[in-house]
Amino acid sequence: MVDITSKPVGRIAGGLLRLLMVLIVMASTSQAFAHAALIKTDPADGVVLAQAPTQFSLTFSEPVSPLVLTLVKPDGTPVALTSFRLGEQTLEIDNPQTLKSGTHVLSWRVISADGHPVGGSLLFSIGAPTEPPAVPEAVDWPLRLSIWIGKVLLYIGLFLGVGGAFALAWLAGNGAAGRRFVTAAILCGLVAAPLSLGFQGLDALGAPLSHLAQPVIWRTGLGTAFGWSVLAALTALGIGLLSLAGPRVLARPLALASLLGVGLALAASGHASVAEPQWLTRPLVFVHGIGIAFWAGALVPLGLALKRQTAGAAAFLRRFSRAILPVVAVLAAAGIGLAVIQVQTPSALAGTAYGRLLLGKLALLVFLFTLAAVNRWKLTASAEAGATEVRRRLTRSIGVEMLIVLAIFGVAAGWRFTPPPRALAIAAAQPASVHIHALEAMADLSITPGHAGPVAASMIIMTGDFGPLDAKEVTLVLSKPDSGIEPLKRAATKPGDGSWRVDNLIIPVPGRWMVRIDILVSDFKMVKIEAPVDIRP
Amino acid sequence: MNKYLLAAGAILALGTNAAFAHITLETQEAEVGSTYKAVLRVPHGCDGKATTAVRVQIPEGVIAVKPMPKPGWTLQAKKGKYDKSYQLYGQAVTDGVKEVDWSGGNLPDEFYDEFVFRAMLTADLPVGQKLYFPVVQECGDAVDRWIAIPMTGQDEDALENPAPGIKLTPKK
Repeated sequence: MVDITSKPVGRIAGGLLRLLMVLIVMASTSQAFAHAALIKTDPADGVVLAQAPTQFSLTFSEPVSPLVLTLVKPDGTPVALTSFRLGEQTLEIDNPQTLKSGTHVLSWRVISADGHPVGGSLLFSIGAPTEPPAVPEAVDWPLRLSIWIGKVLLYIGLFLGVGGAFALAWLAGNGAAGRRFVTAAILCGLVAAPLSLGFQGLDALGAPLSHLAQPVIWRTGLGTAFGWSVLAALTALGIGLLSLAGPRVLARPLALASLLGVGLALAASGHASVAEPQWLTRPLVFVHGIGIAFWAGALVPLGLALKRQTAGAAAFLRRFSRAILPVVAVLAAAGIGLAVIQVQTPSALAGTAYGRLLLGKLALLVFLFTLAAVNRWKLTASAEAGATEVRRRLTRSIGVEMLIVLAIFGVAAGWRFTPPPRALAIAAAQPASVHIHALEAMADLSITPGHAGPVAASMIIMTGDFGPLDAKEVTLVLSKPDSGIEPLKRAATKPGDGSWRVDNLIIPVPGRWMVRIDILVSDFKMVKIEAPVDIRP
Repeated sequence: MNKYLLAAGAILALGTNAAFAHITLETQEAEVGSTYKAVLRVPHGCDGKATTAVRVQIPEGVIAVKPMPKPGWTLQAKKGKYDKSYQLYGQAVTDGVKEVDWSGGNLPDEFYDEFVFRAMLTADLPVGQKLYFPVVQECGDAVDRWIAIPMTGQDEDALENPAPGIKLTPKK
């Protein structure tokens, strides 16, 4: 192995470990924010209904598929809801039983397109509100840690294992230094990949670690986008192993195929791959992954070759240092492209858990690039010439690089738990919606964006039995009695698409607002309908 | 100092009194099965603008409407079908005046006027309840609609633009 026992290296390793812990803690403070954001529910969160609804509906910002749907009764007994229909973005759930009066909780857990599960719950009361039943929604730390470790080990398998196999086949010449390490890394990935799939299944269903053996967990994990990643990873790892153990003639093509497999595995799921525009993000993730594998994978075989002073070491170093500049350039360009797409605004860097992880990764990268640059421009030439002392320093430096690379894997695996600012921005832009239903008229009102500040309101007005209602005038009245805010009254205009609009409306403070819609049905008849709507901060 | 306080108090009192400046009916109670003389009192225009039209909707159960003409105003009585048939002096009546319009006039905000019609309150009207005559007041482009009718249990005083109404009493 690379020499990491010398004191300065040990100190650096300790520092890195501490930094990593801090980053993980920072990342964990983020709650389960949605990638698929919940836009609308029926019944609305917090409403008091006269009668039990026959069905529930949840509308999301993007297509989802349900994993677990539970109705918790006022006495705390959970009822699994198994009968549902999936519309475009709306999930309609049948309510199988008559509900007694009191406050109920509808708890939902769905999976969005990026393969990450999202959950939440909504409260509604029948008759009158009661003390809401307790719903456990705590973070399952052992599972989170398992997912994280699984992810780091998978990265080790893909980047150090497959990348190492590629370096051995294409760069190392006849040298075999690091062969055992690379094989071990691939085996480690081969174990971690299926385990990660199981953890993903557990996370998707909100089940604890003890349920890992249940087949449904594995089926669910395989059904998510992450399932494709694992299949691609297993294939890449298998081919990588073949390139090490198989016939020498095939080593190079197999190693190349395996390296491409790493890119595919990474591009198949995750935050970055599902970001729009996908024609750009998926190739960027692919290229980024291959670049990492090329660079990180070569480090251990190269370090060991230099340390052992093998015959081919100088040639290995020369080939590596010639190839690494363009590889790193492409790797960095792809990384910057993805970061810009995901973070969007500089303020999100410090303001979100995702951004903080990115800052941590950047800090590690600066360190890594400095070391790599010193290696490349100061040490490589003399080491190639055969200076023993320089080679020793180069070996040690490569050891430190290895540690930083591992720390970066750790940080990158932490992204599994943090929604990118891009997704947060989409969620923030979602409208606040309410469906107001009265005997004589009803309205679908959406306020966009659904947070305090300048907004626009759009209303669809219908008769009480879903028929068309050709109103003469529509007026929107917003009030917030508990904040002492007098009603804001705005006449709506008709843009001509059947809706009514109020533009240039400013909602001064977040919280629960009362919305009244005054509908002038005829000259002498006005219908006023009213409902609360929650405006986000 | 006290003077200012008094002045402030007076302004506040006036402010709350603004709610009394609705369009109302002079006689607030009437017997069912009798003739009612409705006098609509218009105390002001719409937000300071002169009133140019007053239109009143005749509720179901009110028949044989005869509006009083006003000099300077064009009078129109719009007829339509009733929901059901009523007896008037032994004859079945199925249609009649449903809306009365006085238009084309000019009543400045600082003046007061009254608009009058006579009608028969049929005996089937629910005794003890209120009967509303929704009014639309037009002032050129501006409109004030005195058409709000309280829902059961709702306080009439809480309405912004209540429709003028009368209480129905039993026939003596």
